[in-house]
Amino acid sequence: MKIKRIFTLINNDIVHGPKDLVLIMAVVMPLLLAFFFNLAFGDIFTSRAKLGIYDASNSHLPPVLNTNSTINIKYYDSESLLKSATARGSVDMGIVLPADFDDGIAAGNVRLTAYIWGESLAKNREVIALALADAVREFKGSVLPVNIETIPLGDETSIPWSDRLLPVTILVAVFYGGLMIPASSLINEKQRGTMIALSVSPATISEIFTAKGIIGMLLATIMGIVTLAIGRGFGHSFPALVLILMLGAVMAAEIGLLAGALIKDINTLYAFWKFGGLLLFGPAILYMFPQIPSWLGYVFPTYYVIRPLMDVSINGLGLGSSFVYLLVLGAIILALGLAINKIIGRLSTQALRIGG
Amino acid sequence: MNPRIIKALLKKDLTLFTSNRFYMLITIVGMIFYVGIYFMLPSTIDEKFDLAMYAPETSSTFSRLSNQDGLNVEYYPDEAKLKQAVLDHKVQAGIALPSNIMEIWAAGNIPLITVYYASDTAIEIRDAVVTLIKEISYEQTGQSLKFDTQQEILGTDMVGDQLTLRDRMRPFLAVFILLVEILSLASLISTEIEQGTARALLCTPMQVGDMFAAKGILGIGLALVQAVLFMIIVHGFDNQPVVVLVTLLLSSIMVVGIGFLLASAARDVTAVTSWGMLIFIIFAIPGFGIIVPGILSDWVKVIPSYYLTDTVNRVINYGAGWHDIWFNMVVLICFTALVVWGGMAALRRRYR
Repeated sequence: MKIKRIFTLINNDIVHGPKDLVLIMAVVMPLLLAFFFNLAFGDIFTSRAKLGIYDASNSHLPPVLNTNSTINIKYYDSESLLKSATARGSVDMGIVLPADFDDGIAAGNVRLTAYIWGESLAKNREVIALALADAVREFKGSVLPVNIETIPLGDETSIPWSDRLLPVTILVAVFYGGLMIPASSLINEKQRGTMIALSVSPATISEIFTAKGIIGMLLATIMGIVTLAIGRGFGHSFPALVLILMLGAVMAAEIGLLAGALIKDINTLYAFWKFGGLLLFGPAILYMFPQIPSWLGYVFPTYYVIRPLMDVSINGLGLGSSFVYLLVLGAIILALGLAINKIIGRLSTQALRIGG
Repeated sequence: MNPRIIKALLKKDLTLFTSNRFYMLITIVGMIFYVGIYFMLPSTIDEKFDLAMYAPETSSTFSRLSNQDGLNVEYYPDEAKLKQAVLDHKVQAGIALPSNIMEIWAAGNIPLITVYYASDTAIEIRDAVVTLIKEISYEQTGQSLKFDTQQEILGTDMVGDQLTLRDRMRPFLAVFILLVEILSLASLISTEIEQGTARALLCTPMQVGDMFAAKGILGIGLALVQAVLFMIIVHGFDNQPVVVLVTLLLSSIMVVGIGFLLASAARDVTAVTSWGMLIFIIFAIPGFGIIVPGILSDWVKVIPSYYLTDTVNRVINYGAGWHDIWFNMVVLICFTALVVWGGMAALRRRYR
């Protein structure tokens, strides 16, 4: 295997290779998902009750309500907007603060109109009512007649939805590009017969596979880093996270190469993605719903990428804590590498040609 | 159109489909996974706060907590058992009142109330319990607030009968299965165009219309069978089965139309897959609005799949009938007619 030839092949694929929509999707889809999840879902998938306010009086209550951690508040410019947002379920409850709202509080009478979304949970309605009462009392300067001590029990931590969704974006970023680029590239070469042209050049099948694998791996790593930067940031763990992403990217590229070598056409590759996608994205579902037994994760190969990644980025653990997972990941990469090596050994240029 | 030719074409396409064992296996395993995802999702909804209370002294205000709609209060005989219940996640938080709380208040002093919560409990739940205790304490010490509130429930009040995440996922997964078939059908047609078999077939007595009919029947069959099977398993036909079936049939025809359009517009099979994914993502967006109500505003109505997702959701989750969803059906019929006509016209040009 000659390094120079591999670089020539990589250069050839990048500069002259097809810039089809698989490549565009590999870049655009993870970015779209990362932005979408962060802007929308990160805020929405919370157990906080949602209160909508139309303040007709420039009341002093909303700033007090803003400090309440039990609810999320959205403001609306008119009562009709508030009402339609509540009917849609954007908020659990929408309240209209009338023009003389603050005067009413001073007089000891809290007057307001409340629209309640029919599907809002009973506990959310309760929490909003409590938060409102609490804010009114704070506004009035009431003296709290009780001391409250809060004591946490156990050592588990709660994961917010914005973090629970991180595995989805990372898996799409790393595995769509990392898998589909080498796989579709190999299949395209087979379908268009360009593999035959390559076979009469000095390049070996092993070099062709390596070049395509490196392209997939590089793209997957870059997309993984960009997505992680959008979703979470790196903190002090940049080298550790990049290392985990690179290992994940290697696994993705290896699966892509295997798929590209074994699959005859894009149809079947798509079917493979349809089924394999579910296997690959299994850990993302586990992280979304902690009610599912966590041992199920061990079944999915991508768990050994996501678990260390989450441990380092979310839980702030060191790379050493993920040693066992990384060891398994290394073993999977090695096994896939051996499988590719065996296939490369068996494949002749003739076998790679479509239609024999 | 010649039924004999259509039958022969259908037989050929079905043979091609079933001869690819991998594709067949994947389709079956894919269905098992969709059903698996559905059954893995929670079948219940946590509508109330589950609280534990240790109250050595009776207090009328604290006792009233048990009657609150959003609270489920369980009393424990001692603080140790209350803490264990919190640790075991039987409750979301535990409130331990001091033994002489009423005396303390009567003496004008401030009692100390302890709130226990599991460390993995969301911070907003802990704070909600704290706010609840504050409010009760105000009331107990005679500082009640007078609220003059006009309330209006928008939509059906579903307290006590909320939709679970599993229920919300049903329309999404059913539409997901249908949309996937856009790609399957478009890929099938595109392969024939790319490999030249479509032109070869047109040299036989077969007409373009026969080809459309055969592909259409195959596409509708593939999409409809999977969607119906899924809906049977997840009890999607329990409410208004005829409406659900008609909606799925109409959607399957729509899927075929989009598949035709996609196959005619895309350069090759790779482009079909890529553009198809884009269409798939856009068409899946309305489904997210069902899973997480309120995240999408009215703009989502410009996506035609909204009318499909909304219909399936309203019928199977809210028991809607023809009179509730007639507008959705009209939009779906118009859009389906448009894409089928457009797809056939575009493909006809491509076959020439």
